[in-house]
Amino acid sequence: MLQKKVCMLGSFSVGKSSLVRRLVESMFDEQYHTTIGVKVDKKVVNTGGEDLTLVLWDIYGEDVFQKMRMSYLRGMHGYILVADGTRRQTLEDALALNERVVAEVGKVPALLALNKSDLTDQWEIDPAREAQLTAAGWTLEHTSAKTGDAVEKAFLHLAQAMLAK
Amino acid sequence: MAEQAQRRAFEAQAQEKPTDNNHAFEELRHLIVAPEQEGIAAIQDRLENLEKRTQDVSSVVAEAIQMRREKGDDLALADALAPTIQETLRESVRRDPHVLADALFPVMGPAIRKSITETLRGMLESFNEALEHSLSWRGIQWRIESFRTGKSFAEIVMMHSLLYRVEQVFLIHRETGLVLNHVVAPSAPAQDADMVAGLLSAIQQFARDSFQSGKTENLGNMTFDELQIRVVSGPNAVIAAAIRGHAPETYNLAMQETLEEVQRLYSSALVNFKGDPGPFRPAESQIARLLETQYREKPADRKRPRAAIITGAVAAAVVIGWFAYSTYLLVEWSRFLSELRKQPGIVVVSYTQNGRTFHVQGFRDPLAEDPKKLVSQAGLDPDRADLQLAPYYSLDDAIVARRATALLHPPAGVTLTAKDGELIPEGSAPQNWIAQLEEKAPWIAGVSKLDESHLQNSTLQQLNTLKSTLESIVLLFPLGRAELDAGQEANLTKAAKNIRDLVAQAAPLHQIVTVDLVGHTDITGVEAANLPLSRERADQIRAALLRNGVKSASVLPRGVGTSQPLHDESTEEGRRLNRSVTFKLTLSPLPAAEIAGAAPVN
Repeated sequence: MLQKKVCMLGSFSVGKSSLVRRLVESMFDEQYHTTIGVKVDKKVVNTGGEDLTLVLWDIYGEDVFQKMRMSYLRGMHGYILVADGTRRQTLEDALALNERVVAEVGKVPALLALNKSDLTDQWEIDPAREAQLTAAGWTLEHTSAKTGDAVEKAFLHLAQAMLAK
Repeated sequence: MAEQAQRRAFEAQAQEKPTDNNHAFEELRHLIVAPEQEGIAAIQDRLENLEKRTQDVSSVVAEAIQMRREKGDDLALADALAPTIQETLRESVRRDPHVLADALFPVMGPAIRKSITETLRGMLESFNEALEHSLSWRGIQWRIESFRTGKSFAEIVMMHSLLYRVEQVFLIHRETGLVLNHVVAPSAPAQDADMVAGLLSAIQQFARDSFQSGKTENLGNMTFDELQIRVVSGPNAVIAAAIRGHAPETYNLAMQETLEEVQRLYSSALVNFKGDPGPFRPAESQIARLLETQYREKPADRKRPRAAIITGAVAAAVVIGWFAYSTYLLVEWSRFLSELRKQPGIVVVSYTQNGRTFHVQGFRDPLAEDPKKLVSQAGLDPDRADLQLAPYYSLDDAIVARRATALLHPPAGVTLTAKDGELIPEGSAPQNWIAQLEEKAPWIAGVSKLDESHLQNSTLQQLNTLKSTLESIVLLFPLGRAELDAGQEANLTKAAKNIRDLVAQAAPLHQIVTVDLVGHTDITGVEAANLPLSRERADQIRAALLRNGVKSASVLPRGVGTSQPLHDESTEEGRRLNRSVTFKLTLSPLPAAEIAGAAPVN
């Protein structure tokens, strides 16, 4: 079975881990996150009749105390950049992070997940900004780890993109 | 160079004057370039002619493959050839499977044997381990430990009996942390290899980042209690081994060698890895070699079962032997006892066995067989026989006969037997012994009757013999005279001795011997003279007998004349034999009153 290394990137508390927990089989404890800054999980998706194993590296969110370890990104085949749709700043932080990621590992298939889509009344990202990002080449998904909306779809999308590459 | 410059100059001139010198130019041109043109035509022909081209390729194909391989890019060539080779093999098998089977036979046989041996060895080992641990004291301790810690018994056994066991080996793509191949030891617990490999890579990188070690340095070992993870890293691949217990340092060398082999064999696939582990499937054979299991050596323990078996066998043999010997003894003793019971004069009342000694209680007639001798005859140890036989008088026929014999001392030729209390003497015995027998027999214990029908009286027989001898004697006289014929004295003497013997023999029989001396005459002469003559002849013999020691009471002379002739008188011989005295013996019992005081004659 074909395997791909996929990283989950984004600021602290945007819901990366929640997205992963939503749909993966997991065997490691959450405390891996805080100890070594990464938790490895696995998700098998089927695209085009073919099974694909996604090994998900859920990387601990950046904050003022801890920078992300770039070495965890080595060899990744794709990544999901996660931002909290109810906090505009997290999107900008994610995009800034993305700059560093591209500088470190080069261009690989990526997807931008605007999470917490269930909280529509607190949504801070206006459609114009989204259109701008789409124009810049981003694939966007409004996901909700809470309801499960578009989570599967997001991973499937990325899988297809990685296979197409 | 000079030639080319010259040619260009000519060509330039020719173009300036095309019409004037056309023919000449063509000729010149032909002279100059014809060889090159022919050469080009030949090359073109070689390229277009399939046969020639094939010839060319065939001469370099082997060298080309060789060169390609030396460049190290063998995977592309292998990829290109693989479908053709597979198809060729398939076709070969379809046409004639024997060709390939024969070719592979020398390889397949050992491979299959090795595989079977390995499998069996593994099975035996785990079976032995299980057997060894399931029932021992240690096994019970381990069960308690299993109960206490919540771990499975198998895990506890493994922890204690294994020196080390390589449970899993991961072949990991270094860059991505993805699993290229993964092998698990039989029955070892296995987690999801993809995630484990990912996290292992993450930990490696974490360690590298955290402790600022160089890019080329790697985390070699991670130890958690009984579990150890050993990692060796190459440029593109990482081999990680999960080991329970403590593997020796040399194991790392084996890992390193395997890694190098994998790096060498899959170099291009590792570089071009895009997430497809397919090309690394064959690497299983390499990494599976790292799945080692080393049990604790327990030479003493290994020997114990054999020692136990030998001890057990010896003990069993001893027990069986002892049992067999005891049974044998018991059988022999039983046989002896039944023999003893058959013995006349011995009565067995009870017997007991105490250890190896047999106690027999009963009675024995002093005339019965010696029981100690019987024990020896039965092949038993007389020292082991405690025979408590009280003396008694047996009324058994054989013992009665023996007792009678001991008391009566029968003369040679006389045997004594007994039957139901009746003593039966057989043979010929003299009168005095018979008298003793008749007197003593009723006093012998066990004898109630005496049967003398088979006993001959030898004294009586002798008496009868003497009687017939005497009565056959004829004493002859001359015609008309009362004196014995000459030569008759010997007969007279013989008759005298005979009578004396008769008297002596008859005495113990309490018989009185009376001998009639009968005088005869022939018919010659007158009867009145013959009768007195016959009487005279008898008197003469009586007197002669008396002279020869015969008592007068025993002989009674009488004359019968010619009244009782012994022979026919018609011949002289007959008449001669009638001039005689003959003997007639009479035995008559002694009157009872005289028996008591009867003194033996002579």
